[in-house]
Amino acid sequence: MTFAKTTAIAAILTATGAGAALADWPTDRPIEMIVAFAPGGGTDIMLRTLAPFLEAELETQFPVLNRPGASGEIAYTALSQARPDGYTVSSLNTPGFLTMQIDRKLRYDPASICPIARIVEDPGTFIVQAGSEFQSLADLVAYARENPGAVSVGTTGMGTDEHLAMLQLEQAAGVDLTAVPFGGANEAKTALLGGHVSMIGLNVGEYSTSDDNAFRALAQFSQERSVLAPDLPTATEQGFEVLMSSERGLAARCDVPEEIRAKLAAAVDAALANPEFQEKAKQQALPLAYRSGADWQAEMPARLARFTEIFKLIEGGQ
Amino acid sequence: MNFVDLLMLGFSEAITPANLAFCLLGALLGTLIGVLPGIGPTATIAVLLPITFFLPPLAGIIMLAGIYYGAQYGGSTTAVLVNLPGEASAVVTTLDGYQMARQGRAGAALAVAALGSFFAGTVATFAIAVAGPMLSGFALSFGPAEYVALMVFGLLAATILASGPVLKAIGMILIGLLLGMVGTDQATGAERLTFGAVELFDGVDFIVIAIGIFGFAEIITNLERSGSEGVQLAPLSRLWPTRDDFRRSWAAVLRGTGLGTLLGLLPGGGATLASFSAYSLEKKVSKHPEKFGTGVVEGVAAPEAANNAAAQSSFIPLLTLGIPSNNMMAMMLSAFMIHGITPGPTVLTNQPEIFWGLVASMWIGNLLLVVINLPMIGLWVKLLTVPYRLLYPAILLFCCIGVYSMNNRVFDVILAAGFGLLGYAFRKARCEPGPLLLGFVLGPLLESNLRRTLLITQGDPSIFVERPISLVMLLATVVLLALMILPSFRRTREEAFQEEEA
Repeated sequence: MTFAKTTAIAAILTATGAGAALADWPTDRPIEMIVAFAPGGGTDIMLRTLAPFLEAELETQFPVLNRPGASGEIAYTALSQARPDGYTVSSLNTPGFLTMQIDRKLRYDPASICPIARIVEDPGTFIVQAGSEFQSLADLVAYARENPGAVSVGTTGMGTDEHLAMLQLEQAAGVDLTAVPFGGANEAKTALLGGHVSMIGLNVGEYSTSDDNAFRALAQFSQERSVLAPDLPTATEQGFEVLMSSERGLAARCDVPEEIRAKLAAAVDAALANPEFQEKAKQQALPLAYRSGADWQAEMPARLARFTEIFKLIEGGQ
Repeated sequence: MNFVDLLMLGFSEAITPANLAFCLLGALLGTLIGVLPGIGPTATIAVLLPITFFLPPLAGIIMLAGIYYGAQYGGSTTAVLVNLPGEASAVVTTLDGYQMARQGRAGAALAVAALGSFFAGTVATFAIAVAGPMLSGFALSFGPAEYVALMVFGLLAATILASGPVLKAIGMILIGLLLGMVGTDQATGAERLTFGAVELFDGVDFIVIAIGIFGFAEIITNLERSGSEGVQLAPLSRLWPTRDDFRRSWAAVLRGTGLGTLLGLLPGGGATLASFSAYSLEKKVSKHPEKFGTGVVEGVAAPEAANNAAAQSSFIPLLTLGIPSNNMMAMMLSAFMIHGITPGPTVLTNQPEIFWGLVASMWIGNLLLVVINLPMIGLWVKLLTVPYRLLYPAILLFCCIGVYSMNNRVFDVILAAGFGLLGYAFRKARCEPGPLLLGFVLGPLLESNLRRTLLITQGDPSIFVERPISLVMLLATVVLLALMILPSFRRTREEAFQEEEA
């Protein structure tokens, strides 16, 4: 057998192999959905709720596999090591996906992961006790100016959504606040109810599921008001430039054929439009905000640059 | 409506055939996953959560709650029979429970555990019904400063867990503290002791350490002692506890219940902290503390009562304030949310049938668990007669599955194997692992709360003596320390004098 012949056969085999995989996708195998957080978290419940609808759209199976740890890095590393055949997708969360590029040496290449679609955008918010003297961000800022460092803000750790929002407010208003890290949103809520901290950061989704009689939100940190809190003014409306949202969606490897990624995105879009899914999303207070993978990805460099600026504040002042 | 009417309303909801069936199903499932080491209720409920979409709200919540407290019952079974804590909260049960099993008294240990748990569950259920809102106030008054005082007290009390020399116990606590530091530092984001391994970013999991140090090390030790024959257990004397067992347990159960109900309210620790504390307390008040660890029935009764009471009372912050006190309760919160119910004061007034139905079902579930578990004791104890060449590989297999399924990674299994070797080394050196685990649990809580306190007060430590709860606990710590130092001080002096005279 000559070399040319061998290469020719090899080329044909590869071509038919790839062709078959593309033609059969997505029905010959289940599509593994990696979730970067432990069972029961917001992202996990969102994707477990969505999975049956995607299964109906694509007529295949979507088993959920939890790979929690290192705020998502373990799942992203697993995704980047999967075969690029469209049978592995993973959850994608910002700002975590972006901020870990700033402050860590990663074990995977962030450029190898492409978003498929954004599903939810959940703006950040600051919450005080219902009986607090602070009615708005202006009240809070005025008090913090008189008493530097006296306002304690419960966060869920260094470099998290809440911490970055707090740093932005410090910079925008020229005040000094004190970040107090807690193990999670619920620990922080308990500390706020007990009066141990002055204010905590939460997502609007988490706030809207709390009892209204106990808490009051001061502002939301999105460009436009979230569907979950149409009466709550944004920070920008109140004159402070604080922008911080937690976005959750799906991603795949960038070298998965464009056609397959487009089909996945279309299936997510269709599932989100399904009234039955919308009803379930409403019960779980999911602020649905579909955006195609390409559009979402186009926004990321600017946001990464912004987060890099904010991170410099941590190194400088905190 | 007064209290009795509301409770009757609850029972009428909980006793409908469908709700009763879901309660039974949940309790059975919970017992099963409790028996299997490593497979915890949180993961189980996460997987079952989507199914509750299709159930009526109360039925779904009743089933999930059943899984939770069922697991507390099941966890003690393997702890007693094969020295393997099925759940974190059953670790201290192994200390005396397994020794009882080796003396042929496994039936008595399991029966005391089941009855103690039932009593504690009953008391805690009524505590939820009668004093829920008041008790949740107590939970809120616990700020970072109070936690610091509680943890300092707890760490000192941890030395009581060991029956050997105090110095070794302190050494083990320090190793536990060191292990607790592994992972990303919450306040600065710096990596500590991870050696660059991304799997260690979030620290070491409690289950990994517990299964390694208790489960794997136990198997290695037994193989060494007797080859493939395994350990010779004393023949089973009787299945049911003796009159003397009951006489010695009832006070321990009462104390465990009280402590468990209070500690279960606090975020974070819950059932695990409760069982550790109850054991330490029992050993402190006992007239024969030196016998703990050799198979005394109080050492089983107290922690089992405490972990079950805590499992029930951890519902209080969720139901009355809408705040989950641990991961498990966060799952329950999602279960409520799926049905459009926001737990909190408004549910108590607007949908009393949900709150009271759940409370009533908890009591029924506890009753069902005793009914299921007591006749099963005979069956469980038969497990001990399975030849070791079959039993040990099976235990190892379930341990590995359990550890793997926590995060779906092999790394954790290898880590657990490493802890198995470490645990074996500890046994050779006659160091007891109980204090290590308590150090591991309490250390991170102490560190993060100390930092929180000082951040909030901007560096002023006087808050620890200004807040009454914190002050009382710190004083108790000083008293405990004095009690520990004084007698041994006296004894060494006496020994020294005797030597001089001789």
